[in-house]
Amino acid sequence: MSRQLSYAKAILEATDQAMGLCPQVIVLGQLVDTQSGIFGTTTGLVGKYGAERVQDFPVSENLMTATAMGASLTGLRPVIVHQRLDFMLYSLDAIANWLALWRFKSNGKSAMPVTIRTIAGKGWGQGPQHSKSLHAWFAHLPGLRVAVPATAYDAKGLLLESIFSETPAIFVEGRGLFSMTDDVPEKPYRVRFGQAVIRRQGKDATLVAIGSMVPVAMRAASLLEKEGIEVEVVDPRTLNPLDRKTICDSVSKTGRLVVADPAWLSFGAAAEIIATVSEELGDRLKSKAARVTLPDSHTPMSMALEKEFYPDENDVAAAVRKSLG
Amino acid sequence: MELSHRTLSLSGHYRELTLRDLEPAVALQLFRQMLRLRRMEEALLAEYHPAEEMRCPIHFCIGQEAIPAALSGLLKADDFLFSHHRSHGYYFAKGAPLKELFAEIYGRSTGADAGNAGSQDISHSGSHFYSGAILSGAVSISVGAALGFQLRKTGQIAVAGFGEGATDEGAFWEAMNFSGKRRLPLLFVVENNRYATFSDQLKRQADDNICERVRPFGVRATKIFGNDAPLAHRTLEAEMKRLREGDGPALVEAYTYRWNSHVGPEDDSSNNYRAPGEMEFWKDNCPIVLLEERLRERGMLDDAAKADLEREIALEIAANFKFAKESPFPTVKDWHRMNFEDASPMADRLLGTASRGGFDPDQAESKLGPY
Ligand SMILES: Cc1ncc(C[n+]2csc(CCOP(=O)(O)OP(=O)(O)O)c2C)c(N)n1
Ligand SMILES: [Mg+2]
Repeated sequence: MSRQLSYAKAILEATDQAMGLCPQVIVLGQLVDTQSGIFGTTTGLVGKYGAERVQDFPVSENLMTATAMGASLTGLRPVIVHQRLDFMLYSLDAIANWLALWRFKSNGKSAMPVTIRTIAGKGWGQGPQHSKSLHAWFAHLPGLRVAVPATAYDAKGLLLESIFSETPAIFVEGRGLFSMTDDVPEKPYRVRFGQAVIRRQGKDATLVAIGSMVPVAMRAASLLEKEGIEVEVVDPRTLNPLDRKTICDSVSKTGRLVVADPAWLSFGAAAEIIATVSEELGDRLKSKAARVTLPDSHTPMSMALEKEFYPDENDVAAAVRKSLG
Repeated sequence: MELSHRTLSLSGHYRELTLRDLEPAVALQLFRQMLRLRRMEEALLAEYHPAEEMRCPIHFCIGQEAIPAALSGLLKADDFLFSHHRSHGYYFAKGAPLKELFAEIYGRSTGADAGNAGSQDISHSGSHFYSGAILSGAVSISVGAALGFQLRKTGQIAVAGFGEGATDEGAFWEAMNFSGKRRLPLLFVVENNRYATFSDQLKRQADDNICERVRPFGVRATKIFGNDAPLAHRTLEAEMKRLREGDGPALVEAYTYRWNSHVGPEDDSSNNYRAPGEMEFWKDNCPIVLLEERLRERGMLDDAAKADLEREIALEIAANFKFAKESPFPTVKDWHRMNFEDASPMADRLLGTASRGGFDPDQAESKLGPY
């Protein structure tokens, strides 16, 4: 009895169900009340729940975040939506100076259950101001949870979990994933933070893939299978908390590690994962760990350069082959 | 003449303070609250060095007691108050327990935030009091609290208290735009003490006219001489009444003056930032003295009554110091738990579990378009 739903529709369904389950859930964001509804992720909500609960917000990202925070102190559970992660950067102060440390600062007596949805753009010349992928920045901050769902199933479960948890969450969506479908159960269900999944079992190498690199890594694993290489693909699903155990367990079995991260190379999530593995079992690695990431460069507009900029399954497969020597 | 820091410091002793329409009990309470706050701050300031037991930056509010005293009589227990680094007056105004303020400054486990926040970031969520040192941040968050009250039709109001320096920030103007548009039950209280650290308002802004600039956003605005406590009381009372009737938001700009250094007990006068004669003007117009003059004229206060009050306050302060100094320091329990809440009772109640199907990785990625 499986039902295929796109990533975008799964986000819409999670939001709709959350609003239906709990009158305290509100949605704030630019254009969330329009028919197009942020790539279809909010379409129809305003008709169902009204303009007070589904609010178009001024183009004031910092204030929008702070507003959600203040509203959460009165018992509401706000979900805010940014069309692009780049736009959200105006709210870094609200996030890093207030939201992330609110629980800490109050010694656990006050909580801000705010969910921040944000979309990492990709392709069609989005260029350097519409495509940044900064999940590692947020994962660096104590007090914030960071979800990087790769599939429609995870998008729905992690969004519901974010909305109904007490710790604020940054929910990073990959623009390239929106129409991809998956089995998505109809009922409201949870996917817990800090629980990675093994998307494919294998004994030769561990391939940790983050967010939009998950389908790419899976395709790379299919390519390698034809060459007799069995890759284990691990999807951490959330970066903070990070399921270090599942990753280390897999590497202790395979002895090899490649990390595919749709973000810049330096100081990123891939580095954190490799550091964790080397601290835990560095002396048991059979070969050097490797990263497949974006180059340390801003995103070019031209399609000719864009093609080079984003790694594909061949790049990932090549990194795995190299690690096998 | 329009109120401004330029005109004020030329204007001599303030004679307009009147008790005319004020209940005697309210007038006396304003006096009592100002004196409590003044003596508390003086005591903390005196104790800071050389004891070195309060190891956090403290922005003292001596000279600026009128607004906190007025607010303290008007805020209801379930109203929310947000403020800035110069937090003690507002903490006091919200009626949060002062012994927990002392213990917080001393970094003790019994502090309002168990020693995590200190003076400039203190909160007391049980009293709905929140502050933080990042300028204008608390202003922005107060907007959300007011939106929450409006959406939930609770009749509560939010108040944000801050300095004129915060109005340099873009975030402040985003708050004006949205709160005016939504007509939020939100009161902005600007204590204009002329300076942001050592920088004169007119070095940072084209004019001393915050009220004029917020009005086009739909924010009603009033400026007052902020050391006239009865005037502050009347003004804030009228504005809060209108807010409770759904007629918001409002801003009150109170002209006042900080007597001490920007931060800490150390002298910062070598920066030479104050205008000549200014300190003398403001000390001559001390908010406590101005009210005391009238109370004595009317026979509502005499030496004996004041001495009683001083004694009562001294005892309270001594008890607060004792509580703080005798409280244990916090110990590290679990850094993770200090920052993250892992329990999720609401998710436990509302969400089930469901098994995962097989994701097909061979399907095409989204066809990307220009948006
Ligand atoms: C975003 C930010 N920038 C700079 C500072 C440093 N700072 C601390 S207090 C202060 C001046 C504040 O002036 P005002 O808002 O008028 O309040 P006052 O200290 O006069 O009460 C500044 C600039 C800060 N705390 N936050
Ligand atoms: Mg100032």
